[in-house]
Amino acid sequence: MQNETAASKQTVKDDNPIGNTSLSESPKDRPFILAVTRNGHMSEHVMDYALNVAHRLQYGILAVHVDTLPLFSDRGKRSKLFAAAMRESATLFDQKARNTEVVVEHLGELGKISNVVSRLCHSKKRIEFVVIDKDIRLEEVARQSPVPVFPVLAAKTGLFNKAIFHNPPKKGVFAMSTTSKKRHLKSCVLFGALTTGLYASVFAYQDAVMTYFTKGGLFALLPVATVFAVSYFHGNFTSSFWSALGIEASQKSTAPRVAPDQKVTDAVVAPRPDTRPRAQVNA
Amino acid sequence: MHGPIAEVIQFIDLNAYTITFLFIVGFIGGLVSGFIGSGGAFVLTPGMMSLGVPGTVAVASNMCHKFPKALVGAIKRYKYGQVDIKLGLIMGLFAEIGVQGGIMLQKYILDKWGEAGSNLYVSVVFVLVLVIVGSFVMRDAIKMKSAQGETEARPSLAKRLQKIELWPMITLKTANLRISMWFLVPVALATGMLAATIAVGGFIGVPGLMYIVGATSIVASATELVIAFVMGLGGTLIWAYYGMVDIRLVMIILAGSLFGVQLGAIGTTYVKDYMIKYVMATIMLIVAVSRFFALPKYLNQLHLISLADNLVGLMTKISFGIMCFALLVGASIILTSLFKARRLEKTVAVNG
Repeated sequence: MQNETAASKQTVKDDNPIGNTSLSESPKDRPFILAVTRNGHMSEHVMDYALNVAHRLQYGILAVHVDTLPLFSDRGKRSKLFAAAMRESATLFDQKARNTEVVVEHLGELGKISNVVSRLCHSKKRIEFVVIDKDIRLEEVARQSPVPVFPVLAAKTGLFNKAIFHNPPKKGVFAMSTTSKKRHLKSCVLFGALTTGLYASVFAYQDAVMTYFTKGGLFALLPVATVFAVSYFHGNFTSSFWSALGIEASQKSTAPRVAPDQKVTDAVVAPRPDTRPRAQVNA
Repeated sequence: MHGPIAEVIQFIDLNAYTITFLFIVGFIGGLVSGFIGSGGAFVLTPGMMSLGVPGTVAVASNMCHKFPKALVGAIKRYKYGQVDIKLGLIMGLFAEIGVQGGIMLQKYILDKWGEAGSNLYVSVVFVLVLVIVGSFVMRDAIKMKSAQGETEARPSLAKRLQKIELWPMITLKTANLRISMWFLVPVALATGMLAATIAVGGFIGVPGLMYIVGATSIVASATELVIAFVMGLGGTLIWAYYGMVDIRLVMIILAGSLFGVQLGAIGTTYVKDYMIKYVMATIMLIVAVSRFFALPKYLNQLHLISLADNLVGLMTKISFGIMCFALLVGASIILTSLFKARRLEKTVAVNG
C-alpha cells in the first residue's frame, strides 16, 4: 500500500558518520519516532515536537501521511490534492529537519490509520513510539499499536498557540492544499487563454463563419459544436475565475460531502494509555 | 423559417454598444438562471430585437445561448449535490414534446388571428401565468420566511400525489421522493408549452417541481437547469437547421452569462430555501407588470381599443424597461444575499 518514500538523503549521508560518535548503531537499527497525520498537511507543532524529541534522543523520524479515503468518488481529485499537500508538508518537514541532525523519512499510506500504524510498527522499523496529529482519535490507534501513542496537541496558550485551530475555516478537499488558490489561478489562465483563442478565431473569421454556420441542414452541427466548446472552455474559465477570486460555495453545504470532522480535545499532552503492555518490536 | 429566408435575413454588424449590452444582459440573466433555474431569456429576445436583430434570429440565438448556460449551471450545481439528473432528463424529454405542442398551438393562433393575435395570446398567457403562479410562490416564500423554517415542509398536494401508487412509479434519489410518472408528465408538458410560448419554461417548471412533484426549491431550481438544457438543445438543433443562429451574438451573450451562472449557482449554497422562491416570485410579478404594459399595443393592432401611437410606443418602452428592472432586482437580491451570507460565514469561522 506504500506509495511514496523519500528519505532526506543529505541528513542520512553526512550528519552522523557511522561508528564515529557515541551513536554506534547503523541507520538500520536507529530507533524511530512514528509521526502520523491523516491530513494533507501535518501540523507544524507535531513536526516541531517530533524533531525536538528525536534530536534529544538521537532518534530518526518516520513521517506518515495517511490518505484515509483513497477511494473517495470524485475521480481521484481528492487523492491528487492529498498527494500535492503531502509533498508540501514533506518539504516543510525537511526544511525544519535541516537545522537539526535528525533523519526524516516520509511515507504516503492509504487506508485505516490503526492498520497503517500497526503494520508499520510490526514490519518497518524499530519504532519506539507514535505521535499522532490532530483529527486522529487516540483510542483508535492505541488499540492496535504495540508501542505507546501520544497525541500532540497544543494548549490554547503557550508555545504552539498559533499552530492550533480546531475550527479550520476551510475543510476537506478545499483545504488540503494551501496552493488551491494558485491552482485555480493556473486553470483560470489556461482556460482563459483557450477561451480567448476560441473567441478570437470565430470573430477573426466572422464572415466565413457566418456563411457556413447559417447554411442550415447538416451545417447546424457547427454552431452547436461551437457552443459546446464554449461551454467547456469558458465554463471552466469562469468557474476557476470566481474560485481564484475566493468566491466559492458555502462550506456549510459542501461539508457533508467530505469526511466529518473528529472531535479534538485540548491538552498539552494527553494521559499516556498505561493500561496497555508496552511491547517493543524490533524488526 | 425555411431555407431561402436565411439568405434574405440580415445579420447585424457588431459594435461596442451591442457587445457591451449583450454581455451585461447575459451576465445578469446568467446570474438569475444559475440561481432560480431559468430566467434572463425573456429580456434577451426583445433586447436583441431592439438592437435590430430580426425576430427569428433573436429567438434562435436566445435558444442557442440557453442550453450551454443551463449545461454549465447544471454541472456546477450537480457538484453541490442539488441536481436530480433522472428527474431532469425525464422532465426534459416530455418538456420537449410540450415545446412542439406549444409551437403547434402558436402556429394555429397565428393562422387564425394573425401576428397581433398571436402576440396578444403570448402576452395574456404571460400575465396570467406570472400573476397566478408568482403570487402563489410569493405567498409561500413569505410564509416560510416568517416561520423561520430552515427546511421546507413538503406541500400537501405533493404529499397526497406521492401516496398514489400508479404504475410506473419513479424513485428519485437526490430529490428524495417517489412519485408516479403520470404526475411528472403534465408538469413537464406545461413547462415545455410555456417555454415555447414565452421562452421561460422555468416559471412553470420550478413551481411545478416544488408544489406538484414535491422537490425542495434548491433541487427544483437545479433540476430545471437540466430540463432547460434538454429543451434548449432540441430547440437549437431545429433553429440551426434553418440557419437562424447568429453564433456571434450567442458567444457574446455566453461570455457574460457563464460568469453569471457560476455565481448564481454558488449563491444557492449560501441562502436559505425561501430565498429562491422569493427571488423567483419577485421577478415573475415584476415581469407580469411589464407584460401588462405591452398588452395595449396588440389590442390596438387588433382594433379592440384605439390609443394614440406615441402612447403605445411609450408603453412598449416602459414594458421593456420594467422587464430589465425585474432582472436587475433579481440579480441584486441574489448578490446582496450572497455577499451578506459570505461575510456572516467568515465572521463565524473567525470567532468560532
